[in-house]
Amino acid sequence: MDLINPAVVDLSRFQFALTALYHFMFVPLTLGLTFMLAAMETVYVVTGKQIYKDMALFWGKLFGINFALGVATGLTMEFEFGTNWSMYSRFFGDMFGTPLAIEGLMAFFMESTFVGLMFFGWDRLSKPGHLAITYLVALGSNLSALWILVANASMNMPNGAHFDPETLRMTFDSFVGVVFNPDAQAKFVHTSVAGYVAASMFVMGISAFYLLRKQHREFAARSFRMAALFGIFSTVAVITLGDVLGRLDYEHQPTKIAAIEGLWHTSKPPYEPWIVAALPNDAKQESSYEIGVPFVLTPLITHSFDTPITGMIELEEAAAPRIASGITAVSALRRYEENHQAADLELFRAHQDDMGFGLLATRHAPNQDVTAIEPEQLQNVIEQTKPDILPNVFVTFWSFRLMVFLGMFFFVLFAMASYLSLKNQLERNRLFLKLCMWSIPLPVLATEFGWITAEAGRQPWTVFDRLPTFMSASTHGVSYMLFSLAGFTVLYSIFIAVELYLMFKFARLGPEAHAPHDDHADPAHLSVVAH
Amino acid sequence: MDIYVVLKLVWAGLLCVLLIGLGLMVGMDMGVGTLLRFVGRTDGERRTALNIIGPHWDGNQVWFILGGGAIFAAFPTLYATSFSVFYVVMILLLFSMILRPVAFEYRSKVDARLWRASWDWVFLLSGFLPMFVYGAAFGNILQGVGYHFNWTGQYFQDGSFLAYLLNPFAILCGLMAVSLSVMQGGVMLMIRSDNPIHDRARRYASRAGVLAVVLFLAGGVWVRGIRGFVLEQGDPAMPANPMQGQHVSMQVGAWLNNYAAHPALWLLPVMGVVSMLAGVALVLANRPRVAWWTGLGAWVGTIGTVAASMFPFFMPSTTRPDQSLTIWNSSASQYGLTCMLAVATIFVPLILCYTSWCYYVMRGKVHTADIIKDTHSY
Amino acid sequence: MIILLRFAGLGLALVVALLFAVFVGDQGPWYFAWAVGTVMIILVAAAGAVLFDAQVEQYTPEGEF
Repeated sequence: MDLINPAVVDLSRFQFALTALYHFMFVPLTLGLTFMLAAMETVYVVTGKQIYKDMALFWGKLFGINFALGVATGLTMEFEFGTNWSMYSRFFGDMFGTPLAIEGLMAFFMESTFVGLMFFGWDRLSKPGHLAITYLVALGSNLSALWILVANASMNMPNGAHFDPETLRMTFDSFVGVVFNPDAQAKFVHTSVAGYVAASMFVMGISAFYLLRKQHREFAARSFRMAALFGIFSTVAVITLGDVLGRLDYEHQPTKIAAIEGLWHTSKPPYEPWIVAALPNDAKQESSYEIGVPFVLTPLITHSFDTPITGMIELEEAAAPRIASGITAVSALRRYEENHQAADLELFRAHQDDMGFGLLATRHAPNQDVTAIEPEQLQNVIEQTKPDILPNVFVTFWSFRLMVFLGMFFFVLFAMASYLSLKNQLERNRLFLKLCMWSIPLPVLATEFGWITAEAGRQPWTVFDRLPTFMSASTHGVSYMLFSLAGFTVLYSIFIAVELYLMFKFARLGPEAHAPHDDHADPAHLSVVAH
Repeated sequence: MDIYVVLKLVWAGLLCVLLIGLGLMVGMDMGVGTLLRFVGRTDGERRTALNIIGPHWDGNQVWFILGGGAIFAAFPTLYATSFSVFYVVMILLLFSMILRPVAFEYRSKVDARLWRASWDWVFLLSGFLPMFVYGAAFGNILQGVGYHFNWTGQYFQDGSFLAYLLNPFAILCGLMAVSLSVMQGGVMLMIRSDNPIHDRARRYASRAGVLAVVLFLAGGVWVRGIRGFVLEQGDPAMPANPMQGQHVSMQVGAWLNNYAAHPALWLLPVMGVVSMLAGVALVLANRPRVAWWTGLGAWVGTIGTVAASMFPFFMPSTTRPDQSLTIWNSSASQYGLTCMLAVATIFVPLILCYTSWCYYVMRGKVHTADIIKDTHSY
Repeated sequence: MIILLRFAGLGLALVVALLFAVFVGDQGPWYFAWAVGTVMIILVAAAGAVLFDAQVEQYTPEGEF
C-alpha cells in the first residue's frame, strides 16, 4: 500500500523553509543594492566625481560577496520543487513551471551575464556603457524576483489555471491571468521594495560605522545621504503595498487574514480592536492576554466601517459542507480514473470546486483513501478535517506583528536619518549613528517574517483550496531526508560563517583599499593575519 | 499532424538544445574547475585560470538553471519524477553546484595558503562531480529506473539510490561527460592563456579528447546488450497523463531499433566521434579556437545519439513499463507549451547575442601579472 | 537627414513607451507604480548626493557632515 508518511512531509517542509529562509537572507540585499549601485554610478557619470565611482566600486565589492551566496542558494530552490515536492510539481507544474522558466530566460540570464561585465568591465566599457550594464543587472535581478513572485502568487491565488480530470492536474489556461494576478503585482512590489529598504539600511549602517570612527568621512556621509533618501521612500512604498496585500488576503484567503489578526470569532464592526499583542492557543482555539486598540481593525482590513471579517471558528463551520462535497468529488474522480464512466465525471464536475477539501480529508480517511469512508464514519472524518483548514495561528499572528513593528521602526529611523543628513547634523548624534549600525540586520529579519506570514498563513495548502501540503511532498524515506537536511545544515552554516567573516573584513577595511591602483601599497591589508 | 504533437516534439528538441548548451557552457567551466589544480602550479597561475572564465561562469551556469526550469515548464511530470527518483544523487549534485559560486567569489579574497588550497579542492569537486552526475543520469535512464504512480499521480520509488550511483554503465557515462568537459575547459584555457598554462591545458585537453572517444565507442557497444524499451502502443496526442494510455515492452538491444529503422540517424554518433577526434587533432595543432567549435559538435553528437536511440522515451520505468515517461505523456498542456515557445523564441536569440557580446568585450589573453595586480579579479 | 532620423527614432521610442505604459497601467497598475517609483527613488537619492556636494561647497570642507 502506497501511503504518505507524515514525518517525511514535515521534514520536507522543514527543509524547504530552511533553504528558502536562508536564500532570502541574501536576496533582498541584491534587489536593492543593484539599484543603489546604479544610482551612485549615475551620479558618477553625470558629475564625473571620482568619489562616486569609489562608492560604486566599494559597495559593489560587498554586493559581490552577498550575490555569490544568493546565486548559490537559489540553485537549491530551483531544484527543490522536483526533488522534494514531486506531487506538487506534477499537479501544478503546467502553470507553475512557466514563470520559473521565464525567470531563467528573461531575467536570470541577463543578470548573471551582465554581472560579470559589471565587475570586470570597468576598463573595457565606456562610462555610459558600464552604467547601462549596471542598470541591466539591477533590472535583471528585480525581474527575477517578479517571476518568482508571480509563481508564488499563483500558489496563494491560483489564477489562470483549472483542474483537468483527464490529466489529474491543474491546466494552465491564461498567461495574462497569471502575470497580472493582483496578488502577484502587490507581492512583487512589496518584496522588491523591501529589498530596497534592506539595502538602504545596509549602506546606511556601514556608513554610520565609518562616521562613528571618523574614517572615510567624505565617502561615508555621501553614502549615508543617498541611502537615507533611498530608504525613506522605499519604506513608505513597503507599508502601502503591505496594506494592499492585507486587503487581497481578506478578499481571497479569509483563513490567512483571520489567523494574521488572531480573529477567532467574526468581528463586530466598528468597535472591533486591532490586537497589538496576544498569546494565541491553536489547540484551545482562543487567545489569552489580548491587548488591542479599538475601532482600528475594520477600517484597516476592509477600508470601511461596517463590514465584518469572518472569524476562524465560523470559517471552520463553513468548511464542513465543502469537505463533504469534496469527498464526493474525490471519490467520483477515482472511479472515473478506473472505469471512465460519464456519470462519475458528471458527479465530479458538480463537486469539483471542493476537490481540495476532499483531498484534505484523506489524512483522516481509513488507509488514506476517501473512497473507503463508510457512511457512518463520514461525520467523524468531517469533524476531524475541519480544524485542518486553519494555519498555525501563533506563528502567523506573531511573524506578521514582528514584521509590522519592524516596518514602523524603519519608517521612523529613515525619516530621522534623512532629516539629520540633510541638515548635516549626523556626527553630533552618535547614539543615532549607533542605532543605524545595529539596525543593519533588521530589514532582512523583517523580510523573513514577511515570508513566514505569507507562506505559513497559506497552510494547509500548497495550491490554495486545491492541493493540501501533506499530499504535495515526494515519497522519500526518512533517511534520505535526514541526509539532505544534515548536508544543507552543515554547508549553509559554513557559508554564513565565511560570508559574515568576509563582510566584516571588507567593511572594516573600508573603501580606500578598493579604489583603483592604491590597494597593493600595503599588502598586509589584504591578509588575514592583519586581523 | 496534431498541433499538440508538434509542440511536444519542438519542446523535446529544445530540451536537447538546452542539454547541449548545458554540457558545452557549464561543462567548459567545470572542466576548468577540474583542471585548476593541475594546470596551475602557483597561486598566480590558478588565479589566471579562474579569471579566464571569471566574467562568464555565472552567465553560463544559467544554462543549468534554465535546463531545470525548462524541464519543469515543458515536461512537469518528468521534472517532478526524475528529480525525486534520483534524490540522493541530485542532492549531491546540488551540494557540489552550490559550492562553486561561493568558491569563485571567496577564494582569492583572503590571502592565506590553507584557505586558497581548500577552495581549489572545492573547484575540483564542484567541477568533477556535477559533470559526472550529469553523465551518470543519462546512463541510468538508458537502463530504466524503478518507479510507479498511484491513481492521484504521486510517484513511488521501487529501487535504491545505491543502484543509481554504483553501476558500471552509469559510471562509464559519467566519465564520458567529465572527459568532454575537461576537453572543453582545456580548450578555453588554451584560447585565453599563455605558457605555462597553455601547454599544460593542451596536454590535458588532448588526453581527455582521446578518452572521450574511447568511452563513447565503448558505451555504444555496451548499449547493444542493455535492456531497451519499446513503445508498443501510445497516441502521441494523448493527454499528458502517465497513469494510462501506453503499452511498453522491454527487449535487450531495443535502444538500437530507431537506428535500424532510420539509418540516417547514424550520422549523429559519427558526428560525435569525428568531432572529438578532430578536436584532439586541432588541440595538438594549436588551433584551440576551431577546437572550441568541434567541442560543440562533440556535445551535439553525444546528446543527439542518446536522444535518437531513446526517442520517444524520457525515463523508462523498469517496474511498471506502461507508466514510463515519454515525450507524449509527460509534457505540459498545449497552452503551456505554446506560451513557453513564444517566450523562448524571443529570448533565446537575445541570450545568444548578449552572451557572445560579453565574450567579445572580455576577449584577449589573461596574463598572470595583471591578475595579481588587480584587486577586482577572482 | 541624420537629425531627422534621430527624431523619428526618438518619437517611435516615445510612442512605444507610451503604449506600453498605457497597457501596463491598465492591466497591472502596481507594476507600473513600481517602475515609476523605482526611477523616482533613484533620482531622489541621486539628487540628495548632488545636494550634498553643493552643501559641502557652501561650508568648509572640514565641517561636520
